[in-house]
Amino acid sequence: MSPATPATGGHVTLDGVTWRPYGRREPVLRDISLSLAPGERVLLAGPSGSGKSTLLRAIAGLLETADAGELTGSVLIDGHAPGARAGEVGLVLQEPGAGVVASSIGRDVAFGLENVGMPRADMPAVVRSAVGAVGLPLPLDTPTGALSGGETQRLALAGALALAPTVLLLDEPTAMLDPGHAAQVRTSVGRALAAYPITTVVVEHVLGPWVDLVDRLLVLDAQGALVADGPVRDVLAGERERLLDMGIWVPDAPPPTPLVSGALSAAPASARGQEVTATPLTIERTVRLLDGSTRTSTAARLEAELAPAPGTATALVGPSGSGKSTVLLAFAGALAPSDGAVTAGDEPVSELSTHALAGRLGWVPQWSSSTILGRTVLDEVLVTSRALGEETPERVVEAHALLSSLGLGHLETADPRELSGGEQRRLAIASAILHQPPLLLADEPTVGQDRHTWAAVVGLLDSYRRAGGAVLVSTHDAAVVERSDGVVELTPPPKEPPPPQPRRVLAAHAGPLALLVSAIVAIPAGILPGHWHTSLVVLAVQVALACLALSAPGVGARPSGRLRRVVLRLVPGLLGGLSVGWSTWLLGGHDTATAVTAGLRVVIIVLPSAVLLPLVDPDRLGDHLAQRLRMPARPVVALAAALQRVHTLGAVWSEISLARRVRGLGTDARRPVALVRDLATATFGLLVRTLRMAADLAVAMDARGFASASRRTWFAPAPWRPADTLVVVASLIPIAAALLLTP
Amino acid sequence: MDTHTTEPATDAGTSGGFPRARSILATRPLTGWRTVDILTITFLGAALGVAFWGWGVFYNGPLSALTFGFAPLGGLFVGPWFLAGVVGGLVVRRPGAALFCEVVAALVSMVPGTEWGATTLVSGIVQGLGTEIAFALLGYRAFGIAAAVLAGALAGPFEAVYESFTWFPDWSFAWKLAYAGILALSGAVVAGAGGWLLIRALAAAGALNAFPPGQEHRETRAV
Repeated sequence: MSPATPATGGHVTLDGVTWRPYGRREPVLRDISLSLAPGERVLLAGPSGSGKSTLLRAIAGLLETADAGELTGSVLIDGHAPGARAGEVGLVLQEPGAGVVASSIGRDVAFGLENVGMPRADMPAVVRSAVGAVGLPLPLDTPTGALSGGETQRLALAGALALAPTVLLLDEPTAMLDPGHAAQVRTSVGRALAAYPITTVVVEHVLGPWVDLVDRLLVLDAQGALVADGPVRDVLAGERERLLDMGIWVPDAPPPTPLVSGALSAAPASARGQEVTATPLTIERTVRLLDGSTRTSTAARLEAELAPAPGTATALVGPSGSGKSTVLLAFAGALAPSDGAVTAGDEPVSELSTHALAGRLGWVPQWSSSTILGRTVLDEVLVTSRALGEETPERVVEAHALLSSLGLGHLETADPRELSGGEQRRLAIASAILHQPPLLLADEPTVGQDRHTWAAVVGLLDSYRRAGGAVLVSTHDAAVVERSDGVVELTPPPKEPPPPQPRRVLAAHAGPLALLVSAIVAIPAGILPGHWHTSLVVLAVQVALACLALSAPGVGARPSGRLRRVVLRLVPGLLGGLSVGWSTWLLGGHDTATAVTAGLRVVIIVLPSAVLLPLVDPDRLGDHLAQRLRMPARPVVALAAALQRVHTLGAVWSEISLARRVRGLGTDARRPVALVRDLATATFGLLVRTLRMAADLAVAMDARGFASASRRTWFAPAPWRPADTLVVVASLIPIAAALLLTP
Repeated sequence: MDTHTTEPATDAGTSGGFPRARSILATRPLTGWRTVDILTITFLGAALGVAFWGWGVFYNGPLSALTFGFAPLGGLFVGPWFLAGVVGGLVVRRPGAALFCEVVAALVSMVPGTEWGATTLVSGIVQGLGTEIAFALLGYRAFGIAAAVLAGALAGPFEAVYESFTWFPDWSFAWKLAYAGILALSGAVVAGAGGWLLIRALAAAGALNAFPPGQEHRETRAV
């Protein structure tokens, strides 16, 4: 089935659905009964934590995919349980990229088609039609990592549409996007819905832009019960007061009045040090790729000097990709600008000690979930005060007051990682501000807040500023910009054209399996020689083959750094050879010839790996494992998805390290015990974040038929080419040499 | 109105010499891997693979210098590499989880380049097998600290046998035996006990709600 011939149906019936996740006393959804007619478009609203996302997962039949709990009642799509046909219910998640499965646009959209076993020849047409339906006119081999947040959301929509869903569920698809990208996504949705009569449920807390796209409005209350249901304009008119009370952003209502906060008693301690100022800046960021190469590009440009003055708020504005977060990171000392400087007095902030940095500024990160350091909410707020030795009884009293003012008072003993996204963001603000640093850096502090919490957050920033603090905030929120004393507009740095592709080395023409086999074949080649004479000959053969494998005949740019990369990878192997040789001498009867042979054995085993393994393409590895080795499809797909995200783990790690440094818990090489403890906490944070990623991706993949995908097809072929045979044959030559020379 | 619950089965019986180990098991059938099981194994493997790579750099530098000339002692620091198998097995509790997780971790740590090249993958398979066999011996019914320690320890001899063929064939048998013992000790303490503590901490952080350790945590809190 293709999007050109949408399935008919999409009648959704819920009868008395109640869901209580284990470990919670109260159900998240309470006795929900409703019926959606085929093709009906519904907006679902409610205060944060009211179970909107949970209800969507219930309709998709995915409640138990990544959570365990007690479910009663029934959900039916056209009379049967959801998911009877793979992809029947399409789901787009809130966080852009949470559901990205593959490394290129084409493969990602085709993921569901692979799961239902569509023949490869039929896929491109369906993929193109789905990509066209959401208006994403990019080549199918565009890397998914190169897309903006808005484009990634449209990609997710295309992936759902490719399976011809009868029901489409959108979970706050624009909540994390700037206004421009959000509008693009809404246009895409509108376009798709105009073409196909799909039953659609959209969850959003900013209702205005969606009103024209939907027919009906459902409202959940904080207890997870359905309290209003009707034509969208009738409900908006009739329930306006109730919706405003719930904190929902009702169209045309004026922004709420910021709450005056009395939680901060003292004035920000500007005596702690000089103000942080920046000259005009150019900031570059370097991405390290899995094969060891790096790519550097300009991430942000600050055209004029920027010196946030006490008692003022400055807003950094500009479209996504203009480098707002990057400028904040430079102020936080996480990135050293390639041109210009951010200094506190005479000292660059990137060189301040962790305590000096924590005393000068507070930082509210854009993604607060991975930067949590405390075990309870109260603990988290006090982290910096404790690190600076300022955990006085007065400070603890202030902490209680601050948490209450942000609506977190009842959660003081809760684990901060269990909070909702909006709650975590408020907690991050409280944690950055409690020790009253002279400068507060806040990255999108109002995203994901309802009207009540918005008023609390903006009120807190206002009182901090009135007390003499300097605020530097990156934001898309017009009301926040309006309240600022100064606005700095950033423009996206021009995209540099990608460097010309250098000629490929000969071995790079081989597929991943041939490369792996050739590297492993070196193990017998290393073990066979019984005397170091033989070992030397085998090694010489290997070196000759390595030179051949790394040569790059043809026209075009010469590849650079080939030798350096191999040597770099070989250094540990050489050390290992020395160590093995020495221990053999010591434990094997003090025989020098045996020891030398043992040392050379290590070098022979490791050399081909240093040459060949960097050429393995993780994406193609999955294709080859499944199609050539016939390994089970689902584990292989999961492996490919994990490999594709390995590089993001590094980014998460740096974010955690930065959070620790800014909050006064940074690593200190002079105290090895503390260093080990810090590394351990950062690794733990990485694992928690990784598990969340896996759970989200599981939901997205099951929504596209992965659970039942035992007989998959594959979008990309995995042929065994002559180059593969050649590489494997060449790798056998050292073994042949060893056999010939061994009597 | 139908009631449906996914509360995993509790194994009430005594099992394999661990009468107090009443572990909560994965949903039946044990071979029915859910999507979240598979993805969690590969993602945990990837994260631990990155950590393995970092540990390898440290092991190569300061630790090599410390134990240079006496490789069996270096074996004390090999335990962290067995962690992925123990953690994978303890979280997902299905046949194959330990082996799968250790192999993914080995693969991920191999690609950026390690001292051991492609043999990293072979080591991963061998160590994973040792861990997997420990869980299999217990019938995939016990996942307490004793089971974890056994799994971590068993990876040691497997790795030692493999290394005695590739790296140290010329050592005397006594030294090979001593090396196996040291690896088992390191595995039992670091991977076994350490892995078990790590799982408890992850469960307490709410990161394992979809898995048996998450439920064990909730039950201890409820009491």
